Amino acid sequence: MSKYLDLSIKEINKLLKDKKIKPIDLVNEVFERIESNSDLNCFITLNKEEAIKKAKELESKEVDNIFFGIPIAIKDNICTEGLRTTCASKILENFVPIYNATVIDKINEKNMIIVGKTNMDEFAMGSCSKTSYFKAPHNPWNKDKITGGSSGGSAACVSGRLVPLSLGSDTGGSIRQPAAHCGIVGMKPTYGRVSRYGLVAFASSLDQIGPMTRNVEENAELLNIICGKDEKDLTSARKDVEDFTRLIGKDINKMKIAVPNYFVSDIVSKEVLDNFNKTVELLKKSGCTVDYIDIKYLENAVTLYQIIAMGEASGNLARFDGVKYGYSYENPKDLEELYTKTRQIGFGDEVKRRIMVGSFILSGENAKIYYDKALSIRDDIKKSFDKVFEKYDFIIGPTTTTPAYDIKEDSTDPLKAFMDDVLVIPVNMAGLPGLNLPIGFSKDKLPIGMHIVSKRFEEAKIYQLASFLEKELKLNLDPRGDKNE
Amino acid sequence: MNNYKTTVGIEVHAELKTKTKIFSDSANHYGKMANTCTNVIDLGYPGTLPTMNEEVIRLGLRAALVLNCEINKHMHFDRKNYFYPDNPKNYQITQNRTPIGVNGYVEIDTDNGKKKIRIHDIHIEEDTCKSIHAEKKSMLDYNRAGVPLVEIVTEADMNSAEEAVKYLEKLRELLLYADVSDCKIEEGSMRCDCNVSVSKTDKLNTKVEVKNIGSISNVGVAIKYEEDRQIALYEKGETFKEQTRRFDDKTMSTILMRVKETGNDYRYFPEPDIPFIDLTEEYIKETKENIPMSADERREIYRKAGINEINIGKIIQNRTISDYLNKFNNRINLVIASNLLLGDIAAYLNKYEMVLEDTKCTDEKFIDVVNYLDKGKINSKIFKVILDDIMESDSSIDEILENHNIKEMSEEELISIIENVIDSNSKMVNDYKNGNERVLKGLMGLIMKETGGNANPELVTKKLVELLKK
Repeated sequence: MSKYLDLSIKEINKLLKDKKIKPIDLVNEVFERIESNSDLNCFITLNKEEAIKKAKELESKEVDNIFFGIPIAIKDNICTEGLRTTCASKILENFVPIYNATVIDKINEKNMIIVGKTNMDEFAMGSCSKTSYFKAPHNPWNKDKITGGSSGGSAACVSGRLVPLSLGSDTGGSIRQPAAHCGIVGMKPTYGRVSRYGLVAFASSLDQIGPMTRNVEENAELLNIICGKDEKDLTSARKDVEDFTRLIGKDINKMKIAVPNYFVSDIVSKEVLDNFNKTVELLKKSGCTVDYIDIKYLENAVTLYQIIAMGEASGNLARFDGVKYGYSYENPKDLEELYTKTRQIGFGDEVKRRIMVGSFILSGENAKIYYDKALSIRDDIKKSFDKVFEKYDFIIGPTTTTPAYDIKEDSTDPLKAFMDDVLVIPVNMAGLPGLNLPIGFSKDKLPIGMHIVSKRFEEAKIYQLASFLEKELKLNLDPRGDKNE
Repeated sequence: MNNYKTTVGIEVHAELKTKTKIFSDSANHYGKMANTCTNVIDLGYPGTLPTMNEEVIRLGLRAALVLNCEINKHMHFDRKNYFYPDNPKNYQITQNRTPIGVNGYVEIDTDNGKKKIRIHDIHIEEDTCKSIHAEKKSMLDYNRAGVPLVEIVTEADMNSAEEAVKYLEKLRELLLYADVSDCKIEEGSMRCDCNVSVSKTDKLNTKVEVKNIGSISNVGVAIKYEEDRQIALYEKGETFKEQTRRFDDKTMSTILMRVKETGNDYRYFPEPDIPFIDLTEEYIKETKENIPMSADERREIYRKAGINEINIGKIIQNRTISDYLNKFNNRINLVIASNLLLGDIAAYLNKYEMVLEDTKCTDEKFIDVVNYLDKGKINSKIFKVILDDIMESDSSIDEILENHNIKEMSEEELISIIENVIDSNSKMVNDYKNGNERVLKGLMGLIMKETGGNANPELVTKKLVELLKK
């Protein structure tokens, strides 16, 4: 059995260029690995036939970029033309888009090979991928543990070395939190950095697509190709082209780092905190200043997030009504029954709960009491972050409060579920970029991650700090143990 | 029963005359085969996002300006949430909190002089799709989904069916002449909903919304019907709940659609997919400067040119004629020009079902022929003779006249004919000098007869009066 997939993208690229391997070798290896790890349940839909076809087509083409012929997995809420896109929901179980998300067009331009659509929480609503209509994916480090979510499948398939790269989406931590639980690098770029066109909306003002990879450099490389202003998305930002890898390897001496006290308070488990503190010491030793500070409204961010995210979601998900596409209740006696039965049967409990809460929040006077207030405090959160970044280069903290918990553990307590994302949500509220970097392991050998946040559009700096730590920490992030056995 | 006061407020939806839809690049066309002008954005497919058609903002702003509104320079869109199959996303993108224009007015002429109908607001939104109900099935045509609209909401400022009709006629004229909308009620590009209530006191009574009225005159009919119906109920001591009725043009009556139980809860919130739009002073100024000439400005020009009110009315009714006429303002006699356009030329075009651009009547030919008539080189009788040639041949007016062997009568010739007639009809001349102006017509007839119809009647009258004064 070949092990090309254990090589870095750069190494694979060289082999392809030197014609020592062909894209089909990579595709075959990916599907061997996916099939022998089907118990991880990372994928909802595999794109095997098309991937093989594409790999064969590429044989006659010139290897013109680093991602040429590289397999990639796509979260199943990103629309792929001709390839089923379910959002892990019964309501879209048989939905095959006739259009590509802008990021998919960009991936296709680079001749990457899409191998499948990854498992996730239904409509990205959840933080352990257990709300999936297709059942939860499993953590490659310990199959009894959750992957985190909502981009659980995208995290697990990269962590388990089934695929070298994947795309996830992050509304309130959905890239960074599963990346932390699965021990991979996950970036939520600045809001507006990556086009949302074709990403099935959960909360439009918070959603952002981002890269999930085995290491920092490949993450920066993947962001290089998916970012950019898109005429199809009015919220995408017009920014000059930049190379996100350009600061990798540069000195981090004298960088100023802030740690919000709330992020290291008693909401975080000791094991996670110990690992985090060790990394802080490493940063200090490397010439960084680390200050502990207070940021206003941080502890309210989850509440505010719920109001805004669920309010927007209640509107975004209204279109699934059985009239135009997706699941439709058969032979309804009237319009009312078509609507209610389609949505009652088509949506899972968590989605229905959030739609109901969101509708309530926007109803009548509530809109002013809750939604408007949340929007105004959200502005204040942005401002308090901006103020911190006047003095500091980064804000850091642990990505999650605990390592991945048991998949069997009851996760029906909605408040607790949101606490899973308490450390990552504020970043979405402020539209900032944030990255998870694996920094160590729990005593049960479960990955622990650090969250690095910078001001808007300074992803390159995040990669600089992250790659420094990655190099210093030298962690073996392959859950299969020593891959060169 | 006559001491009831009627109160009417009107909501008008007008489709904007853009090439493409408000949030996508599919065509904004009426009358195409069902579901051929639509795409995944109009259909609200998962993951699709709206883009913003700049032309919509410009036309919306124009409309707000001609309605004398204050402009919301920092504006955004909102989502109006409600489930209905004609609403593809089950929310409509509209403007709730920051309508593009507020506090405007439209001035109408009433029997008691001018009256300002206040405009509460004008906002931009997307149209829904069209549903057609057939027996047990409903069909949806998404060609209309995402067509840009402005909704114009008045205060309850109208007190009669007549005032409502006048308001709508004025509004239609304003939007039409600003090139904002083609305002074709029969095609649904202008739709009116009226809120009508009657009361004996200053306190307003329960209002009834009437929808689905297919013409401006039927708005009047519907309001009168509602006045009678509501007054009859109150006179019987009955009351009723706030309700929506539709106008039925077969029975010319209103029919109950639904009773409004509670206030509608549309759960409005700011549209997160469309950033705020800032209308700069410069943009507003530029938009204002580029608004085509209004009907009132045109009326003023025509009045100054001496065109009679009836003809002015006819010209304003026909934007094409007005635009054509305006090309020649200050260059030719507009009275003559408008008489031709509304008279012989209109008859010719109607007969052949043509528009002026389809004919060979170039601007040069039109200017020449009007000037010849003006200076008396030809008269209207001759014009009729050469009309077909003007419209159908490539020849110039001079060539046409030559071909018809029509020679211009010199002024000397004309004067000598007039003098002859005066000399040989001394009784009529004396009558005229004694104040009987009617004999002028008789003298005119005699002169025209002598000229063989080759003289311009206006010129003849002018010269005749001059010579009679000697």
